[in-house]
Amino acid sequence: MSNVVISDVRKNYGPTKVIHGVDIDIDDGEFVVLVGPSGCGKSTLLRMIAGLEDITGGEVRIGSRIVNDVVAKDRDIAMVFQNYALYPHMTVAENMDFSLKLKGMGKGEREERVAKAADILGLGPLLARYPRQLSGGQRQRVAMGRAIVRDPQVFLFDEPLSNLDAKLRVEMRSEIKALQHRLKTTTIYVTHDQIEAMTMADKIVVMRDGVVEQCDTPLNLYDRPANMFVAAFIGSPSMNFIEGHVQSGANGPAFISKDGVEMALPAGANPPVGTAVTYGFRPEHMALTAAGVAGALPASITLVEPTGSETMVFLKLGTAAVAGVFRERITAGEGDVIHVLPDPTRAHLFDPDTGKRLT
Amino acid sequence: MKQMIAATRRDPVLMGLWLSLLVFALIWFAPFVFIVFTSLKSSPEIMTSGAFTPPGALVTQNYATAWNRGGFDHAFFNSVFVTVIKVPLGLMIAALSAYALARMKNRWNKLVLLFIVFGTMIPFQVMLAPLFTLVNSLGLVDTYLGLILPYLAFGIPYQIFILHSFFKSVPKELSEAALIDGASHFTTFRRIFLPITLPVMAALLILDFVATWNEFAMALVILQDADKWTLPLGLMSFQGQFSNEYGQLNAAIVMTVLPAVLVYLIFQRYFVSGLTSGAVKG
Repeated sequence: MSNVVISDVRKNYGPTKVIHGVDIDIDDGEFVVLVGPSGCGKSTLLRMIAGLEDITGGEVRIGSRIVNDVVAKDRDIAMVFQNYALYPHMTVAENMDFSLKLKGMGKGEREERVAKAADILGLGPLLARYPRQLSGGQRQRVAMGRAIVRDPQVFLFDEPLSNLDAKLRVEMRSEIKALQHRLKTTTIYVTHDQIEAMTMADKIVVMRDGVVEQCDTPLNLYDRPANMFVAAFIGSPSMNFIEGHVQSGANGPAFISKDGVEMALPAGANPPVGTAVTYGFRPEHMALTAAGVAGALPASITLVEPTGSETMVFLKLGTAAVAGVFRERITAGEGDVIHVLPDPTRAHLFDPDTGKRLT
Repeated sequence: MKQMIAATRRDPVLMGLWLSLLVFALIWFAPFVFIVFTSLKSSPEIMTSGAFTPPGALVTQNYATAWNRGGFDHAFFNSVFVTVIKVPLGLMIAALSAYALARMKNRWNKLVLLFIVFGTMIPFQVMLAPLFTLVNSLGLVDTYLGLILPYLAFGIPYQIFILHSFFKSVPKELSEAALIDGASHFTTFRRIFLPITLPVMAALLILDFVATWNEFAMALVILQDADKWTLPLGLMSFQGQFSNEYGQLNAAIVMTVLPAVLVYLIFQRYFVSGLTSGAVKG
């Protein structure tokens, strides 16, 4: 187990710059998730940590060692790939045993380690099977088994759940998290799925276009996104944004949208009157209310999506399209007008030009 | 009931294909029947009976006579020696080269591959005269090495071409996983790529074995000493202006062809799966 320090790491493919100076500190035993849309450079960064890609500039340190020029096999890391990358001609046991054999470990210790890993992952009855005889979930477990038998300093996961169906993904998610808690091995996990990131990580690194947009705990990212990109990326459905400016209202300064919809400023926000801002609030931070209640906003329904436990409603607030998630069942239909009340204590203000958070 | 359903569902196109395959198989098989029957007939019987009439009395003596007359003691040994060295050696060199070109980062890989593929496009007949001059200048005429080296040179390029495209189709994560597991390139080749390439290797082994075993033109040019002749050259002894020993000639042909048929029968299971394995790999 070890900490990982990524300092000003850059990656170019010829003239194309893919990663532009990334800094991340990962503590010993921490579970860090790199998340971002396709092409943001998260997998490239992981592969650079693994030693599968050259590092154009900067420094990657695992423990006390700078590993820029250390080959993959000597970095003491283990990686789980998206497509499992199991050796098709080897049994489950042989797959797990392969790296130990290459290390020159004695047969007794190898068997002990494989048995222990198989026990942890429930692979005991499958040890003699070939990868083609396993289901997707079992293959994923074998890939993890292959990683944990090595007892590495760092686990690297490259979108390991994206080939599984939704139900299995949820199961494996908690299994990986439980496994990491048990082994306490530093883990770097790449995904494009923000739910995976939120549920598993101790710390999330949100990336876009080769740059770290924000690096924080899941709840801090959710509660205090640094910019509109992070605000929109974390949370499902996405945060609602309405453009407008700050104007004096009956009870002091308030937000007025371009359509003239007035909303209370978020708690603690005090931008000067006249400032152009983007008002952000999450769909789940909006309540249903009755007409006439202070701050109630009329909104016309464009679509209702009941999920059973909650109802997702797409609305027009003036001309702005917003989404709301309510615990209540909605009987109104398309075209009907309901009244909603965004919670100003959980709303956000952003600079419309830079996208940065103002509060 | 099930049989009835199956019977009514028979696809006429499939039936037609099946029938035409059968006809083609018969056409291909007919000369073999002719050769085997003739090899077991006496000279008078060959002249009086039809080509596809089974032999009346089996004249196995044809085989013994042909063996001696064709100098098969030497020819058989020479063919086995050349083939047993050339085929595995060529395949190994081709596989190692194909792996290097497909999996080891090098900016010249594409150029080298292009150069190698270019080698497959030159018909060897065009090269016979310069090849003889080269082998002669190296003092290798009438030597096994003088024959094996050109065989390797003409055999390896197309094997590299086929293996390269197969290795390229293997997911790169597989070699990356091996790399992280601590394998060197050679270990990755030997422990991962070679085992999963076995069907393709078996297919190439059959093709190369048959091609090498039956090769005539190059051997004819390079081997002038009858003691160094391979089997196809040995067959020449049966061709003469006044010779009409068809029984012996056909016995010699059967003996020449038999090892190639045996190798094919042993490896054909892999051969078929080798032809299809490239198609199903993502």
